[in-house]
Amino acid sequence: MQHKSFFLFSLILLLGVLLFSSIAVSAQDEAANKPVILVVSFGTSYNDTRDVTIGATEEAIAAAFPDYEVRRAFTSQTIIDKLLSRDNLKINNVTEAMAELIADGVTTLAIQPTHVMNGKEYDDLVAEVQPFADSFESLVIGAPLLSSTEDYFALIDVINAEYPRAEGEVLVLMGHGTHHFANATYPALGYMLKDSGINDVIVGTVESYPDIDTVLKQVAELDPKKVILAPLMIVAGDHASNDMAGDEEDSWKTIFKAEGYEVEPILRGLGEFEGVHNLFIDHLNTAIYGTDEEGTEEE
Amino acid sequence: MNRTFTIKFGRIAGILVLVGLLSGIFLSLAVNVQEVYAAEAVQTASADTEISFVDDDGRQISLDAPAERIISLYSAHTENLYSLGVGDKIIGVHDTSIYPAAAAFLPQFDYDADPENIIAADPDLVLIRPFISRRVPTLVETLERAGIKVVSLYPNSYTVFDDYIRKLALVTGASEKAEALLEKYHQDLDNIHAQTEVIEDKQSIFFESTETDLRTVTADSMPAYAIEIAGGINVAAGAEPVQAGSSIAPFGAERILELADEIDVYVSQRGAMNAGGNLHSISIRPGFDTIKAIKDGRVFVINEKIISSPTFRFYKGAREIARYLYPEVMDDLSTYLTDAPATKRDLANILLRSAHLPIYSTSSSSYYTQDHRGHIYGLFADTDWTDPDFDAIETVVMRGYVDWDLEDDQEVYHPEAPVTKEMLAKAIFILYDFEAAEPGFEITDLADCENPRIVQTLVAHNLFPLEDGKFEPQQPLTNQEIVEFLEAAKVKQETVAVP
Repeated sequence: MQHKSFFLFSLILLLGVLLFSSIAVSAQDEAANKPVILVVSFGTSYNDTRDVTIGATEEAIAAAFPDYEVRRAFTSQTIIDKLLSRDNLKINNVTEAMAELIADGVTTLAIQPTHVMNGKEYDDLVAEVQPFADSFESLVIGAPLLSSTEDYFALIDVINAEYPRAEGEVLVLMGHGTHHFANATYPALGYMLKDSGINDVIVGTVESYPDIDTVLKQVAELDPKKVILAPLMIVAGDHASNDMAGDEEDSWKTIFKAEGYEVEPILRGLGEFEGVHNLFIDHLNTAIYGTDEEGTEEE
Repeated sequence: MNRTFTIKFGRIAGILVLVGLLSGIFLSLAVNVQEVYAAEAVQTASADTEISFVDDDGRQISLDAPAERIISLYSAHTENLYSLGVGDKIIGVHDTSIYPAAAAFLPQFDYDADPENIIAADPDLVLIRPFISRRVPTLVETLERAGIKVVSLYPNSYTVFDDYIRKLALVTGASEKAEALLEKYHQDLDNIHAQTEVIEDKQSIFFESTETDLRTVTADSMPAYAIEIAGGINVAAGAEPVQAGSSIAPFGAERILELADEIDVYVSQRGAMNAGGNLHSISIRPGFDTIKAIKDGRVFVINEKIISSPTFRFYKGAREIARYLYPEVMDDLSTYLTDAPATKRDLANILLRSAHLPIYSTSSSSYYTQDHRGHIYGLFADTDWTDPDFDAIETVVMRGYVDWDLEDDQEVYHPEAPVTKEMLAKAIFILYDFEAAEPGFEITDLADCENPRIVQTLVAHNLFPLEDGKFEPQQPLTNQEIVEFLEAAKVKQETVAVP
């Protein structure tokens, strides 16, 4: 009798273990097989702005792709190191993120950079991902913010809506600028603003062309009373705080004030805008489904 | 809570008393030792013109005569040699030597590189510090084998600063100048202390030495000494060093936040050791919005070179701390309430004090290799680093408040030039935020104004009354007028809603 109950108990236990482990295995398989979107950003050490820009972009992407797990990577090692030492916040660089995805058994991966243009950061990202390509059944990379002609016009609509200007006000957008040939993005955006009939928005860069002198000339032609300064960057971080809105002689705020304009710097990154999130989502759709309409090829 | 505070406060007070007593004894000992040493050193030098002492690596140093061709591998040595008036003897520096600005343009040498570079430059003295001989143990031997004298100096505490300066002066033949400088230096520090010690409502301060782990400084560090001179209460006075002999002391966010209500002023050190923060970056740290100093906007970033480095500029660091703590006392404007015609030198001083601007100084060793738009710090031909108003002038120019000129490819400030009404209008317009506006009447000499927009806006805000419909842009101002216009602008600024 005792033996019988022991046998029964063992059998139940065995069945239980088998059942549980099969559930666990299938859960693990499911986790491993769950496709991942890796959102790659330059990064920022400014915590508050990171949440409302990069964080908000990631959340919007997660909401648009519920079947995907969304992960984060930064390209700036300086920022990654700083966040680890200062805030004990561990963020992967691209290589670490790729190694982790492989270790987790992920087979379907879409990468979306939050870079503004197809510049050096984007080239580096593609090069860094390349060696891992064979480890995935499917690996696609979405285009940066300003890639197609339509992207430019879409961004112009977003900016026009997010930064209303009154009579006598001019909006100056400060981009980063680069030695990479993709710097042509900035004057192209300026050209297309004018083509769209928007004459009170001017595009400049901190480190390249159009530089501040070019911007000053264009602003002077409009003879505004007030200049609104805003970053043409995903994050309103160090450049926006110092080069744009800082108190030194060479900040754009001081330069415009010295010309007698009332100046209002706005510390909002492009990553805060829903319209920008939607552009990244479109780029992901194109990368994943070959069209910007989600899943139309599959349906 | 109250009891904990009382106990803590009692304990801290006890420690403070003990530290005070001990440092008093130590100070008097140190002073005695220094005096004896100085007497000995001078004697040795005058007796047989031989220079002889033990350096901070414990090596016996003997020189027949002061050095003439010096390579300085530590920025503080470089700066002190310039202060001692022997900057022209320096033939090379480490790339961290950027003050005074002239040092940044000297040939650069690196202790981590091949010592042959140094040997090839043919110096008769290489100045290092114990950090360098520990880091590159073969350096001293290699250089000495090549017949080059090496002297290693570093004052481990502010109490032996005078001793360090005297040794530096001895090897460079500047002993007389050193005594005069040291006397002035201590007088300057005493003056700051005399101004702040009589203040009854003492302010509390937290000094962040490194952003990493939010560390502070030890009680015997230079910044702690500066706080003492400045009459501040160091809320982290009891912090223990990260390791024996270090001036860095662990503290952490948790302990800072425990003191949130007590911290009147928050100071963050910027330099090679620390990126430093700013009001924005410090205020967004979790929980930091509860700190009194952050709520009141009393967060300051100080260049480590003026607060933690053994140079004569330390008195400026101490003075800055005093200004952060007691701006109204330290930035007293009463000496400017006169009818004397104002110069641009006066304008710089009045602006600095009226708006309580922290003095500008650069901490980046790459500053002089980067491109700059506008004035480059320290390069005015007519107001160099030895000018008594150097800091005020550099600060108002670096902030774009006051213009400068380029003459014969040299940057000039013209410190003795008169201050015109329009010059002040521009400074006020950039310093504060005024909504663009046009007066409802005509300014008849607007065409004579260099910047009609600024003039119109400030006249519309009733800041500058017109005389017979004229602004009179070239009208020279007195010191008192500048003070009054600035105070009026400050009041308007506080009442005008800034977007």
